[in-house]
Amino acid sequence: MSYIQVQNLKRRYAISKSVFVDALRGVTFDVEKGEFISVIGSSGSGKSTLLNILGGLDRKYTGSVYVDEKDIKEYDPNYYRRYVVGTIFQQFYLIPSLNVEENILLPLKFGKKEEIDFEERLNYLLDIVGLKHRVKHFPRELSGGEAQRVAIARALIDSPKIVLADEPTGNLDSKTGNDILELLKELNKEEELTILLVTHDQAIAQKTDRIITLVDGKNV
Amino acid sequence: MFKYAVSLISRRKLRTFLTSLGIMIAVMLMTFILFGMTDLQDAVLTQFNSVFKPTDLYVSNSSFAMGGVSSAPRKEDVQNEEKVVIDNNVVESIKSIEGVEEIHRIFAVTGFDVYLEGDDIPYPRSLIQAVDLSADNELFVNFTGDDPVLKENGIFVSNYVTSFFELSADEIIGRNIVLKPSQINNFGSIPNTNTTAQEYTFVVQGVVETDNSAFWINSDRALEILAQRGGFKNKEEYIQTVGYSQLLVSTQDGKTSQVEDALVNDLGLTVISTKTIVDFVSTLTAGLTIALIIFGSISAIVASIGIINTMIMSIYEQTKEIGIIKAIGASDFQVLIIFLIQAGLIGLIGGLLGLSITYLLMKVADPYVVKLLSDQGFTAVTTFFHFQPLNALYITLSSILVGIIAGIYPAMKAAKLDPVNALRYE
Repeated sequence: MSYIQVQNLKRRYAISKSVFVDALRGVTFDVEKGEFISVIGSSGSGKSTLLNILGGLDRKYTGSVYVDEKDIKEYDPNYYRRYVVGTIFQQFYLIPSLNVEENILLPLKFGKKEEIDFEERLNYLLDIVGLKHRVKHFPRELSGGEAQRVAIARALIDSPKIVLADEPTGNLDSKTGNDILELLKELNKEEELTILLVTHDQAIAQKTDRIITLVDGKNV
Repeated sequence: MFKYAVSLISRRKLRTFLTSLGIMIAVMLMTFILFGMTDLQDAVLTQFNSVFKPTDLYVSNSSFAMGGVSSAPRKEDVQNEEKVVIDNNVVESIKSIEGVEEIHRIFAVTGFDVYLEGDDIPYPRSLIQAVDLSADNELFVNFTGDDPVLKENGIFVSNYVTSFFELSADEIIGRNIVLKPSQINNFGSIPNTNTTAQEYTFVVQGVVETDNSAFWINSDRALEILAQRGGFKNKEEYIQTVGYSQLLVSTQDGKTSQVEDALVNDLGLTVISTKTIVDFVSTLTAGLTIALIIFGSISAIVASIGIINTMIMSIYEQTKEIGIIKAIGASDFQVLIIFLIQAGLIGLIGGLLGLSITYLLMKVADPYVVKLLSDQGFTAVTTFFHFQPLNALYITLSSILVGIIAGIYPAMKAAKLDPVNALRYE
C-alpha cells in the first residue's frame, strides 16, 4: 500500500442555500514514502482545497485519504497536524511578535515528542536553512527567502513525515524560489520526507519527482 | 503558550492598558472597602473602648439620643412618645436595679460664651459638660491638677482650651473662666432673648485631654445655673420638671445586659451601651461597605464589557494568526487557553495598577485621615489604613478571575474558528 492514498476525493462548498461549487470532483492518486511530487493546476483547479484536506484542516470531504495505511479521519486532528504533516504557506505566516527561534519552536508550545532533543533539532534546522546568524531577528527584519526558510524550519521542528507546501515560491523572485526548492529537495533526501508541493509554475513542477495535474477539480 | 499569549497582548499595549483601567477602578474601590472600612470600624471601636467601659450604660429619656446620626425624627413619633422625666425618683429606681454599681449625672449647659478672664475672645466651642465624676474616671485622660474632684466653682478645661489661649496647663490652673450669656443661640442666627444677664465665674482646677468636650463643671452647680436661667425656683424644681438629660450607669461585670433590659423595659428609658455602639458602627460601616461594593461591582461589570470588546476586536485582528497556529498543531482548547490567558493578564494588570495606586494614595492620605479623626476626637487612632497582604492577594486573584470570566465568550469564539476560513481571512 502506498504511503499516501487519495481515493475519489470530492469537496463541495455551499455558496448559498441553492448554489454549490465542486472544488474537487473525484481526485485519486498515490504517493510513495520519500517521494517529492508537485500538484499543478490553474487558479480554482482545487489545489488549495486538496492541500487543506491533506493537511487535516478540512474534514468535510467525501472519498478517502489514507496516510501510512490509516484513514486520516481516524487520526486525532491535532496529533495529525503536529506530528504527521508540516505545512508551508505562500505568505510564510510567521508570527510578527516572535523572533526566528521562537517562530521555529512555536509548534512545540502545542505539544512535543518527548524522545526528540529539540535544542539539537533546532540547531540542525537552523544550520540546514542557513539562518544561524538570524535567530534573534524578527520577521520584519528578514527577506522573503529568509522568512520562507524560517517557515520551513517551523514545519519540520516536530519531525513530520509529510511536508505540504502551498506555493512556497509564489512570493519570491526566481533565484530565491530556486534556492527554496533546492532546500526542499535536500530535506527530501536528508530527512526522507514525503513532499507535496502545490504550484502553478510549470518550471518549478518539472524539478520534482512527479507531477499531478488538476483541472477543474479532477486529476488528469 | 503563556509567553505566546503575553506576546499577543504586548502588541497592543495602549489598548491593553486602557482596557485594564476599568478593572483598576473596580480594584481601587474594593481595596478601599477592604483596607479602609474595616479600619474605620476598628478606629471607631478602638476609640470607644479607650474611653468607655463595656459595663457602662448611657441612659437618657429621649428615643432620639442618637437621632442625629441614626434616623430623621418624625412628628407622629414625637407626639406618641411617652417621655420619662429623669428626676430623683427615677434615679432611685435605677439604683435599686440589681447589678447597678454607680450612677453619675451627665448633662450639657448651653447658651453661654466662655471667656478666659482678661481675654476678649471666647473659646469657639462652648460645650460645657456637667459631671459628678472625679478626674480619675476613665472619661478624663491625663488629668493635670492637684484636686481631681470638681469643687462648686471649679472647672476642668481640655488641652484644646490651653492651646487656644496659648497657655500651659500650669499657667491656666488657678485662672478664672467666665460664662457669659450668649447673644446668639446654638443655631447661630436667632437672637436669644430668654436669658438673664447673669455671668458665672469658675476657677480652673485641672486640665484633661479632650474627646469632644472642652469644659466640665460640678453638676450641682450646673443644675443651679440651669434652674436660674430657666426661671425655676430651685434646682429641685428643675429636676422635677426637666430632669437629667443623661445618666452614666456603671454596672457589675456580667449584669450589663440584665440592667439594660430593666432600664428599657421597666423604666422606659433609652440606653446606649457598648453593644449599641458596636451595632451602630457595624450598621454604618456595613452600609458604606455595601454602597462601595455596589459601585465596585458596577465598575467590574463595565470593565468586563471592556475586556469582552477588546478580546473580540483581537479575534478579528488575529483571525489569520489563529488559523496559522491551528494549522501548525494548536487544538481548539489551546486557542481557548491562549485567549483566556490574555483576558486574565488584562485583569492582572488592572488589579496590580489598582492595588499600587491605592497603596500610594493610602500612604499619602493616612497622616491626613489620622489628623482628621484626631480633630474629631478619635485620638486613639495612630494609623488608619493598614495594607493587608492576604487581602491584596485575594483582590489580585479576583481581578484575574474577572478578566478570565469576561474572556470566556471571546475565547470560545476564537477556539471555534475554522482554520481554513481563518487562513483565508483578510
